[in-house]
Amino acid sequence: MSLSPRIQQTKDEYIHSKPAICLERARIWTQSHKETEGESVIVQRAKAFKKVCDQLPVSIFKGELIVGSAGISRRSGILTPEFSWQWVDREMDFFEKRPQDPYIITDEQKDFVRKEIFPYWKGKSLEENYLKRVPLETAMLSIDTGIIDNDSKWRQAVGEITPDYQDILFKKGYLGIIKEAQDKLNSLDYTSSDSISKIDFYNSIILSSEGIINLAKRYAARLTSMAKTEPDAEHKVELTEMAEVCRRVPANPPETFHEAIQFVWFVQLGAVLSENPLAMNLGRFDQYMNPYYISDLESGHITEIRAQELIDSLWLKLSEWVWTISSNTANYFAGYNQFQNLTVGGRKRDGSDGTNAISYMALSATKRVKTHQPGLSVRIHQNTPQQFMHAVIDLVREGTGFPAIHSDTAGSQMLMQAGYEPEDARDWSNCGCVVPHFRKTGQWTAASNINFGAALEYSLNNGRSRDTDEQLGLDTKDLTEFSSYEEVQDAFFDQLENLVHHSVVGTLIAQKLHMEMVPRPFLSTCVDGCMDKGKDLSHGGAKYNVGPVLTGIGVGVVANSLAAIKRMVFEEKVTTLSELDQALKADWVGFETLREKALDIDKYGNDIDWVDTIAADISNFFYRSVRNYTDVFGSKFNSAFMGISNYIPTGKIIGATPCGRKAGSPLTEGVSPYVGTDISSPLAAMKSSAKLNHDVHTGGTLLNIRLSANMMNTTRGMNNIAAMIRSYFNLGAFHVQFNVVSDQTLKDAQRNPEAYRDLLVRVAGYSTQFINLSKEVQDAIIARTVHTNS
Amino acid sequence: MKGHISNIQRFSLNDGPGIRTTVFFSGCPLRCQWCANPETWEPRPQDSLMTSDEVMDSLQKDIIFYEESGGGITFSGGEPTLQKELLLEIIEKAEFLGIPTAIETCGYFNWDHLQPVFHKLDLVFIDIKHMDSCIHKELTGAGNRVILENIKKIGKLRKPTVIRIPVIEGVNSDDRNIKRTAAFVKEFVPTGSIELLPYHSFGSHKYKDLGLEFPSNSFLTPSNSRLKELEKLIESQGVNLVSFK
Repeated sequence: MSLSPRIQQTKDEYIHSKPAICLERARIWTQSHKETEGESVIVQRAKAFKKVCDQLPVSIFKGELIVGSAGISRRSGILTPEFSWQWVDREMDFFEKRPQDPYIITDEQKDFVRKEIFPYWKGKSLEENYLKRVPLETAMLSIDTGIIDNDSKWRQAVGEITPDYQDILFKKGYLGIIKEAQDKLNSLDYTSSDSISKIDFYNSIILSSEGIINLAKRYAARLTSMAKTEPDAEHKVELTEMAEVCRRVPANPPETFHEAIQFVWFVQLGAVLSENPLAMNLGRFDQYMNPYYISDLESGHITEIRAQELIDSLWLKLSEWVWTISSNTANYFAGYNQFQNLTVGGRKRDGSDGTNAISYMALSATKRVKTHQPGLSVRIHQNTPQQFMHAVIDLVREGTGFPAIHSDTAGSQMLMQAGYEPEDARDWSNCGCVVPHFRKTGQWTAASNINFGAALEYSLNNGRSRDTDEQLGLDTKDLTEFSSYEEVQDAFFDQLENLVHHSVVGTLIAQKLHMEMVPRPFLSTCVDGCMDKGKDLSHGGAKYNVGPVLTGIGVGVVANSLAAIKRMVFEEKVTTLSELDQALKADWVGFETLREKALDIDKYGNDIDWVDTIAADISNFFYRSVRNYTDVFGSKFNSAFMGISNYIPTGKIIGATPCGRKAGSPLTEGVSPYVGTDISSPLAAMKSSAKLNHDVHTGGTLLNIRLSANMMNTTRGMNNIAAMIRSYFNLGAFHVQFNVVSDQTLKDAQRNPEAYRDLLVRVAGYSTQFINLSKEVQDAIIARTVHTNS
Repeated sequence: MKGHISNIQRFSLNDGPGIRTTVFFSGCPLRCQWCANPETWEPRPQDSLMTSDEVMDSLQKDIIFYEESGGGITFSGGEPTLQKELLLEIIEKAEFLGIPTAIETCGYFNWDHLQPVFHKLDLVFIDIKHMDSCIHKELTGAGNRVILENIKKIGKLRKPTVIRIPVIEGVNSDDRNIKRTAAFVKEFVPTGSIELLPYHSFGSHKYKDLGLEFPSNSFLTPSNSRLKELEKLIESQGVNLVSFK
């Protein structure tokens, strides 16, 4: 099925429009805050949200079936100065020029924000407060350093929410939510001190709900007036229908497929306007949409083609709005990626297979529309129909890096480990890139990235950075002073433990500040538990509060490096610690023979037990270390080895490593082997990675394997790849994603970006348009090993 | 018992059903002029000298993938039957572990010695390079009498058998030869099917590396339309075609 002319046209307009900053949200939001000073912050934020909904320009673009835009451009990015304005002030003069994720901003706009918006927020932003409160030792390791990276949690909103369509939004509609909040308010004892914060909370819920209803009604009104003047009779009818849809939802529960999709988009849009979120997920789209599809089909209200068109429209909407982020954050989350994950396939709550028509249509939408959003994930279990596997591989074959393929059971195990009820654990969907998540949850799924390469460097260099010679790690000892391999390994663990400690310190301060400064009334309407408890999400209102996730970066590099020391220094004695120390200091210059030897040592990713065991030991240690800490709600911290493009910036600050890696080169992503070193076979890479006990790393694990497309050209080939995936999951692993484009194609895309506007590649944990990546990231992707069969 | 193994290739997708590991034995009794793997003609110093247990260590690593995909292990070369003791040991160990086995053989071996091996194998790939013994000898260094006799004996085992024809334009791709091959399969291998492997020149650089002269450049890859014609011809003889692409 090819794209309908309407979708094709919308897509063309989307890929040819450049991301532009729209100030309307920031302007109205700031105005509201000026008017509401002295009120409780949650009510202030709810009123600001409502004012934005009441005043934001209504923008309907040509040919749209689903409406609602965060700004006046098709691809608008908004500013959220309440979180941070300083980086915007510092960076916006370079927005159009920066290599990763540039935005259009006019001089007029810059003047306006500098005069009218930033002065108000001076001293009031989350960023400034965080920087005041974070202790110096933690700050040295974590403020734009690449050692510990958590700036998306104090320069940005948290996001990381999966709205509960199943039990809340589609059941009640926002009128239902208002009524429920009103009833709660009416039943409160106003003379009880407990009630004070609850009164504010329920009022903020009512204000936010009224806001989103008003926004939809304003769109309805505009559509009605457009219909009046529309000369084309067919389109006139369509506009009238769209107006009716926006009049009904999200105020009321949806009754049709069209209404349900428009509802979903209004909730996404509300989230964008409320906080410019990262990872505002769509959850199990096939599960909550299928009933509307079936009933519309039965009543003759919809055709498959129309339903597909509506899904395609949503995909475009999800891709159009732009997550405005700092250049530092953009290095970690490259490619305008908003991380709106959408999960299809997998078991139902009762354990039976839940794959349905919408599961296939979602795959089809990504295949045909080729947008970088949503982040499409599939869950695969023992009883997943082989037909669905074929549809999955058919999409893999497109070379877009989608879908992210997950083990249904490993995901459930991860959630069980985190303390969920079995039925809830079975009902998971992805958050962000590869975090198994359940919709009734408040969690920081990407609280902090920890550079394992830094811990390694400090353990071998007396706590000092090789690059700057700064004392950043624990003051332990020089490489030359170790007398056994075990001592080296323990020294690494000590330094890693120290980085975990500081990550926790930073996270706790950020959590505390989020509670004080940026409660989330609109998003609290979407998550079960908040209404009952009378508590905002940021205060622990969700049914489940799960501990923040600390992500380890570079487990592969560290395993390879410890292996090289073990073998070369302590077993085969082909070198000494002092020679190795000199070689690392010299970035291997003058030590080329030694480097060759180091490169020849077995590497993680080839199913070789002795080195894979080192990787497993590191991951087990990290898990135990992280689980020693609890967050502001008393939940244990969680570990992960997930991707994002973080393995590139984290590598930049790390000197040469004993595995033979040169200074500044990338580290390793997720649980993937080091680039170009998984030379045995993809099966060996899978087996190595599966040794890392995925089920305990509840923040997710990520394996990226590049395959050549010719392996999947025949049914036989597809069945083999399907078997490969199923086997990997039988080994207990959680996630695999394939890049199947050829190097030739990518190099050509570098030379002729215009011809490859829609070329999607997997970065790590997500896919994005290749041409939107900086040259450096593009080169890193080209450098990955391609597995072909001969 | 140690043997010469030139390579063990995991994740082989074209040497039988499913995901397989292919064991390349060194040494071959034939010298096919178009051979894509001349490095396997004679055991070389860089080949591994391995026991069946050592080979099994590698083969066992991917059992989970064989099981899920319906794959297994394939013996190739070179010519695996040249090292029949090692081959039989590995097959018996694989049988004990429930790993399906296949062989890719040129068919040029002493049946009496190899009978136990063929009784245990699950799948046989065997070449017919030309039906005319004189031409066969010219092309490969040996006539085809022994090979055809062995194929008849394998046919009697009623095992899944794939007769492979390396289709070389200008050498064996004429209607007459292909028709004769199909008729032979029809008559003597009731469980047999034919796989056409179009000649490719990817191996030609190896000759230079090995200090050998590439014997002829008159070998041509058949066109897709020619292959289609040959497939029709084979089917018209009542023989099934298979492909492991």
